[in-house]
Amino acid sequence: MLRLQSVSKRYGRGDWILRDVDVEAPAGEIVAFAGGNGSGKSTLLRIAVGLSRPTRGTVAARPPVVGYVPDRFSPNERMSAAAYLTHMGRVRGLTTSAASARAGQLLDRLALVGGKHAPLRSLSKGNAQKVALAQALLVEPGLLVLDEPWSGLDADAHGVLAEIMTEVASSGSTVVFTDHRESVTRARATRTYTVSRGRVCLEGPEPQATEQRPVSDVVLAAGRDGRVPQDLAWKQLDGVTAVRRDATGVRLRVGRESTDALLFTALQHGWSVETVTGTTTDHHRTPNSATNGDMR
Amino acid sequence: MIALIRYTFATVLHTQRYLAPLLLFMGLMGVLTVNGSGPLPPAYASSAGSLFICSTWLTIALMSLDDPPQRAIVVVTAGGRSLTVLLAAISTALLSCLVLMAFGLFFPLWMGDYVVTTTDLLLGLEAQLTCALVGIAIGVLCSRLVFKRQGYALIAALALVMGALFAKGMPPVNRLFTLMATTPDAAELLAPTGVMLAISAIILAVFTVATQFVAGRRE
Repeated sequence: MLRLQSVSKRYGRGDWILRDVDVEAPAGEIVAFAGGNGSGKSTLLRIAVGLSRPTRGTVAARPPVVGYVPDRFSPNERMSAAAYLTHMGRVRGLTTSAASARAGQLLDRLALVGGKHAPLRSLSKGNAQKVALAQALLVEPGLLVLDEPWSGLDADAHGVLAEIMTEVASSGSTVVFTDHRESVTRARATRTYTVSRGRVCLEGPEPQATEQRPVSDVVLAAGRDGRVPQDLAWKQLDGVTAVRRDATGVRLRVGRESTDALLFTALQHGWSVETVTGTTTDHHRTPNSATNGDMR
Repeated sequence: MIALIRYTFATVLHTQRYLAPLLLFMGLMGVLTVNGSGPLPPAYASSAGSLFICSTWLTIALMSLDDPPQRAIVVVTAGGRSLTVLLAAISTALLSCLVLMAFGLFFPLWMGDYVVTTTDLLLGLEAQLTCALVGIAIGVLCSRLVFKRQGYALIAALALVMGALFAKGMPPVNRLFTLMATTPDAAELLAPTGVMLAISAIILAVFTVATQFVAGRRE
């Protein structure tokens, strides 16, 4: 189990980026860090993988094989994706043939557009992200660390990534990821920490009836002008906690604070708003219910 | 380590960052050694000087190949051993310099009129290796790992190269060139050049440790 004990971090004499962080990431779990931009998530992950040393505190029980996907991966190289992954596989100790075969499998599974032999610098953000993900999985990692892994991925790759994370966790490894969207961390993680201004706290696993938050039930239908609306990966949108599709459209439950943004996105993609109803719901969800996400 | 060196070679070949320092080396060799005659040590001093500048530039280019996210991936892939990644880049620079050394050793013989002995060749090898090690050391210290701003790195590299070349009597580079320019007998120069080689190896080791320390402190 990866354990960060009383970890604090600052660069030089600058402000503290992390303060007294205690984190446990047990084997077999998918651990999420949720927080806004600049909250310290990426620094926390760099400490977790060993790229950065904490100013105070310790990191214990880091597995020997770590897979790491940074938040930005935009290599300006003529080298092909297959060649790059083969090199990374060799650095991890694989033979050339084994590394090449494993790279091919992963790129096929992630459906890299443009082909395995496309130069890295010609790849779109999403496809470069797929290559970054593949390099982290060349050898089965004991700890898989992903910084904003859904950024730039298409809807199909979202599903594959979720499958991969579940598989890695099921094999007894630890998966750690960050995302700034609560809906994503709730849907994918078995344990969620929130990061804010350098402080990290574990979200309570049990529902508490006393803590309720306002949500909106939104009903969307096809536009009245006859246009066919574009289907979206609703669950990935900020604040969306439940989705149900029917013949006439889609019903969504979304946090009140994210309702305006959701409606704006829906209208932009050709949907028409039928109804918006305000209600309240439990703030905390159990891991099992969180992975479901259907409206009952 | 071998896999990391292969990766670094592949990256530098794809990016073609080696071209500029290589062309500079070739140009300097052409200007300084074509149609030479007489004793060989001064000619090999020219080869070593060309390699000194080329190795500095090549090392800076090699150390700046990966942007920070890509370097982070390579370090994690190498098991979190950032020193191993640094040593792989240094080894790649050194292997590249060995290839250039062969050119620097035989090009003057091909283009000039010299009487060659084994001692001359050994001296040429020692002198070039000395300059290559110091050039790599300066390149490592003036890399992105130490200087975040490339302008400062360039100024620091120029200052160190100029200092090493022109600070009168300063070992190993200026002292070596002075010895080779004033002593025509290669056999007499082997021992002092060996001392300069040892000093350059120490400089490389010290600069490598300093770079690793600064890069570690940054993280």
